[in-house]
Amino acid sequence: MDSALLLELSINGACTGMMYALVAAGIVLIYKTSGVANLAQGALAMTGAYVAWIASTLVGLPMWIGAPLAALVMFGVGALIERLAMRRMIGQPLIMAIMLTMGLEIMLRGVMPGLLGGTVKKIDIGIPNAPIIAGDILINRTLLIGGGVSFAMIVASILFFNSRLGVVMRAVSDDQTASWSVGIRVERAIAVAWGLSAVMATTAGLLWGATQGVDWSLSLLLVKALAIAILGGLDSLPGVLIAGVAVGVIESLATGIIDPVIGGGSREVVASAIILATLLVRPHGLLGREHIERV
Amino acid sequence: MKRRTFLTAAGAAMVGMQFPIRLASAQEKVIRFAMPQDFTRVYTFVTVEYSQGQRDYISMVNAKGGVNGYQILADVTDHANDLPRALEAYERAKAQGALLVDPLSTPVARALVPRATADKINLITAFSGRSDAADGETFPFVFPMSPNYWTQAGLLIDFFRQQDGDLKGKKICFVHIDTPFGKEPIPVLEALAAKQGFTVQAFPYTPPGNDQSAIWPQVRRAKPDWVVFWGAGVGQTVALTEAIRNGIPMNRVSSSVWLSESDMDVVGRAQAAGVIKLEPCASGRSPKLIQDIIKTVIEPGKGAGDKAKVGTAYYNYGVMMAALMVEGVRKAFEKAPNGPIDGPWLNAGLTSISNFEAEGLIPPTTVTTTDHQGGGRCRIARWDGAKFAPATDWFSANQDVVWAEIKKSTDAFKASGK
Amino acid sequence: MFYRRAGIRHTSYRSERRLWPLPFDRGLVAAVVVLLLVAPLVVERLYLIGYLMPWIIWSTAALGLNFLMGGAGQIHLGYGAIIAIGAYASTHLARAGVPFEIAALGGGLASAVIGSAFGATALRVKGLYLAMATLAMQSVVDFLITHVPWISGGGQATLTVPPARFLGADLRVDLAAYYVALSVCAVVTLFVLNVGRSSFGRALAAVREKDYAAAVIGVDPFRYKLLAFWVSSFIGGVAGAVLAFCYYRAISPDQFHLDLSIQLVAMVIVGGLGSVLGPFFGAALILFAPILLNQAVGALAAAFGLGISADLRAHLPLVLYGALIMGFLLAEPLGLAKIYDNVRKYFLVWPFRHAPR
Repeated sequence: MDSALLLELSINGACTGMMYALVAAGIVLIYKTSGVANLAQGALAMTGAYVAWIASTLVGLPMWIGAPLAALVMFGVGALIERLAMRRMIGQPLIMAIMLTMGLEIMLRGVMPGLLGGTVKKIDIGIPNAPIIAGDILINRTLLIGGGVSFAMIVASILFFNSRLGVVMRAVSDDQTASWSVGIRVERAIAVAWGLSAVMATTAGLLWGATQGVDWSLSLLLVKALAIAILGGLDSLPGVLIAGVAVGVIESLATGIIDPVIGGGSREVVASAIILATLLVRPHGLLGREHIERV
Repeated sequence: MKRRTFLTAAGAAMVGMQFPIRLASAQEKVIRFAMPQDFTRVYTFVTVEYSQGQRDYISMVNAKGGVNGYQILADVTDHANDLPRALEAYERAKAQGALLVDPLSTPVARALVPRATADKINLITAFSGRSDAADGETFPFVFPMSPNYWTQAGLLIDFFRQQDGDLKGKKICFVHIDTPFGKEPIPVLEALAAKQGFTVQAFPYTPPGNDQSAIWPQVRRAKPDWVVFWGAGVGQTVALTEAIRNGIPMNRVSSSVWLSESDMDVVGRAQAAGVIKLEPCASGRSPKLIQDIIKTVIEPGKGAGDKAKVGTAYYNYGVMMAALMVEGVRKAFEKAPNGPIDGPWLNAGLTSISNFEAEGLIPPTTVTTTDHQGGGRCRIARWDGAKFAPATDWFSANQDVVWAEIKKSTDAFKASGK
Repeated sequence: MFYRRAGIRHTSYRSERRLWPLPFDRGLVAAVVVLLLVAPLVVERLYLIGYLMPWIIWSTAALGLNFLMGGAGQIHLGYGAIIAIGAYASTHLARAGVPFEIAALGGGLASAVIGSAFGATALRVKGLYLAMATLAMQSVVDFLITHVPWISGGGQATLTVPPARFLGADLRVDLAAYYVALSVCAVVTLFVLNVGRSSFGRALAAVREKDYAAAVIGVDPFRYKLLAFWVSSFIGGVAGAVLAFCYYRAISPDQFHLDLSIQLVAMVIVGGLGSVLGPFFGAALILFAPILLNQAVGALAAAFGLGISADLRAHLPLVLYGALIMGFLLAEPLGLAKIYDNVRKYFLVWPFRHAPR
């Protein structure tokens, strides 16, 4: 096996994994504060990308204004979802709240394509296609920048948990009732989490949309992101980072090493098997907090 | 109170919806085509434009007085690539007396084959469904009427041969989506490889194909003479983008009929210049038929959709298929002017389409009771940065290999005891 | 009103422990059963094949999933794969000449064996982590079916279901197929109704509420979770066989993908976790809301002269469908079955607002 190829695949895989991890980080953010696994994260990414497309193509703003504007709008959308829907599910069985996010996913998947048309839209974030060449290795510029941006955003959100608002959110994730009793506005903390996770989704939607175009298929990012979030431990942001890179690299290498042997796309199966094996050893994900159960 | 209002409203809406079901056309002079298609899931990338083309063509036929005084009614619904919904739509079409069903979805078409055959309803499976349905003797009521994927692969290989003179010792990389649809051309490619002395290397990517970054570095290292990528929708644009990023010369990269102008927009019009696709019909607005549609339907404002989409590749596919269906109706009237107008009646019409060119839009197409593919003609087109420019004339090639594959597949189908 | 309780005096334990102690409930069930029995003779083929058949089959599958999710509290995101195993195993058995009656049971057994083997490994984890582990099962089964031509039926990946008979009735006749599906559904429904009253059902409930607590009182959680996986997978496998023989008649891998699993989970949850009635309501909503909304939007668009674009016309039903799911959950977070229960309770104590107790 060609070692340069393996290195190239690993770098590409790590960057791709990081871009998946950005979607997963949004899921973790919401799970950490409210305990709900947000199944609409992929649809949020899609919606964010459409909003950015409206800003840049329909309105004609340059992307460096359009993208932050889209993020801002999506923060509002995220907070609004919490206010209008999720808040009313507090105290109800968790699985019902999760189901609600699935209803949201179906709805969001219809709104933007319905209004703007189902054909795929081009979004240009100004990254040239020309690769970076290092000897025999070719590094994909879009992936490198996408991975870098994702890494930066996840690290920023880890750091955010040390700020005042972040400490509040940590308290909420520890114990909602206790936070309430010391005067923390739990709903506001959850709303902020939804807003931030919508911003992350928008960024991810832009990065992915730049490669594949913007259409409904962006919402399919959810499945991979959910796998990464669970592998990393649903309540751990650093876990997401590690799991993202691990899944990305493993999938990439599986494509390079196993596929030619068995003649089929094995990456999904290999990734599933590894996730399954990891969960058997660590039932709460790589860095997830063990839930102490009382009888 | 709000809660109760919502529940009452939802209940009332559910009941209310049941009523408009059977108000459809009474016994006027109407021929009903059912077009349950996938507008919201996997096939979104093509359906909007395809359906727009079909409806605009049918509007034109109706505006000109229909066929033999009969109006054609296109009943378009959304089945979202979901089988229970598609079966419901099919049963509804049957109950309403539709003569043909055009589901434009491979899984749906495959599932409908036993039912359509038993019910004697013509199933149009253009660019989808079973490739072996080209064999009209085994599948009398299934009509691809377009080059199937085996033919498409065979045509591409023949084009490579025309370009290089001889394919001996050449290497062709086949990058495909890892589904039955994506793997379909492999037997034909391998048979041709054995015959003509080239090698085929297949690279499967996992569906839906939004991440192919691990595939293309391998393709690049394989140093192929030609690259064929095989997918649909998002997989196609990502494949093309990755090919550009890996510096594979665009004029050596090719694909099936599933490339359109909007894909080129996503990839970047200038960057993709040179890429090769198969054209089952002419694209653009210049063909006379498209001009007619613009005059009689689009300009009076009766178009079925966005004017800008008129003349795109997939729009013209829709026009092509609608033209073939209507031609089938015409032939059916020639053969049996007094009907009875039903599935077998249209079947007789469809199987007597001969040398139909749709005023230059499509290659001469002949559908017989044995060949439901229509001859398997296509042309090769290159993206020149602004449009798909034809690189060859209509041609057919390697049909012997294709038909061997069809026979092999139908034999297996017959052996399974239907 | 209706659900009159006055004047009913149970004079034996037997009569008090009946499935439906109230005469009105019994009457309602009998009416529904009679309606379903005569349906094929009354309604048109469109409604029989387009609506009743999928509703019955999907309800059967959802009952099986609900047994696991609502009964034992274990999330399963790979139920589509279970159904696929049942469908493929029974079809291959029938192609080898095994009669349908045995092939369907064989499909159920294959599903049960493979499903509980996965369950055994997956049961180390709980909650959403279990959802992930079962999702892994889905992708492994999908991969195997798609990539082993021997299973999927060759290059076209479509396996035609051979002609089969059930107790002499040809399953290619829709009437026979309907009654077979209906009787399987009835058997499963009766089983699920009765399990709740057995020691097995009570042990499952203990495991569902808190598995540690169950262990403390002497119920082995692992054993009962595994049993729940076994039973639920068996039901799924038989439902898969019915789906293949009575409804689809040609099976291909993409009919059983993650979409189906998610659809079934949605039916169970929206219908009402743990309720026997829930899966029927859930299946009706999830299967028919998109179809009916599509027709409604289409009819409205036609009535008002195509005032909206084709894209909006296609996607509006999707938006409404999502909104409908959200609306029902916001209106009654315990699912559709709970809505029925609320209505029933309202009439139970009518004209009072609540029972004086």
